[in-house]
Amino acid sequence: MTLEILAFALAALLMLGGAAVVALTKDLMRLVVGLGAFLLGVAGMFLYYGHAFLATAQVFVYVGGVLVLVVFAVMVVHRANGGRPLVTSQHDIGAAAVAFGVSGMLVMSLRESVGGWLPESGTSGSSIAQELLGGHLVAFELLGVLLLVALVAVLLIVGPGERR
Amino acid sequence: MTILVLCALIFGVGMYTVLTRREIIAILAGVELMLGSANVLFIALASFSGADPGVAGAIGLVILVVAAAEAAVGLALVVTLSRRSKRSSIDELTEVNG
Repeated sequence: MTLEILAFALAALLMLGGAAVVALTKDLMRLVVGLGAFLLGVAGMFLYYGHAFLATAQVFVYVGGVLVLVVFAVMVVHRANGGRPLVTSQHDIGAAAVAFGVSGMLVMSLRESVGGWLPESGTSGSSIAQELLGGHLVAFELLGVLLLVALVAVLLIVGPGERR
Repeated sequence: MTILVLCALIFGVGMYTVLTRREIIAILAGVELMLGSANVLFIALASFSGADPGVAGAIGLVILVVAAAEAAVGLALVVTLSRRSKRSSIDELTEVNG
């Protein structure tokens, strides 16, 4: 039990610390590192709740894929500026009130739905595959179409590049 | 209860990031915070309610893939905007072309 609480605390710390860095830092590369820590924490939470396949997918898709995309975007957008890429923000008490008001509403509305510490059961990759290729085949195929459309959209948006 | 408070707090931090940041990449990172915390809360609630873990995992995977596609399209827009107008702050992007 102690080890499980420790694992939960570690994942929660990664999520919360990463989120705080994303919200507060002025250095864009630190923001990317904070986002990476948050995404690793999310993968840890998936592991804690017994979804090992989701945790693996999270690490592959996000930490390995999307985070690299973000780093590329930072390199392309800020390459001409020189120096460390910085982000600007307008910290505002009104924005904090709205954001954390929504958090409070979430807690109030869902507080009856959560129970103790541990999940009742875990799942494996094969049971997810059975669900996706069985009862939810249409959703799975639509997901593939969505990814294809996103890929084509990215190619169309970015275009052939600058002519020199 | 801990997971609910944690996820709600991170959702709030993500929303605060979206509302206060001026850099588009930072705003996208805030959206990722909101999507990630919502996905974790969904999986946790499915565990607590005794739902079929296979179904919960499948829906969690769908959320994950849709979020990844959103990030890819968003970053492509950022790169294109930067190449065309050399700007990456939302305050400088005040007009659309269509």
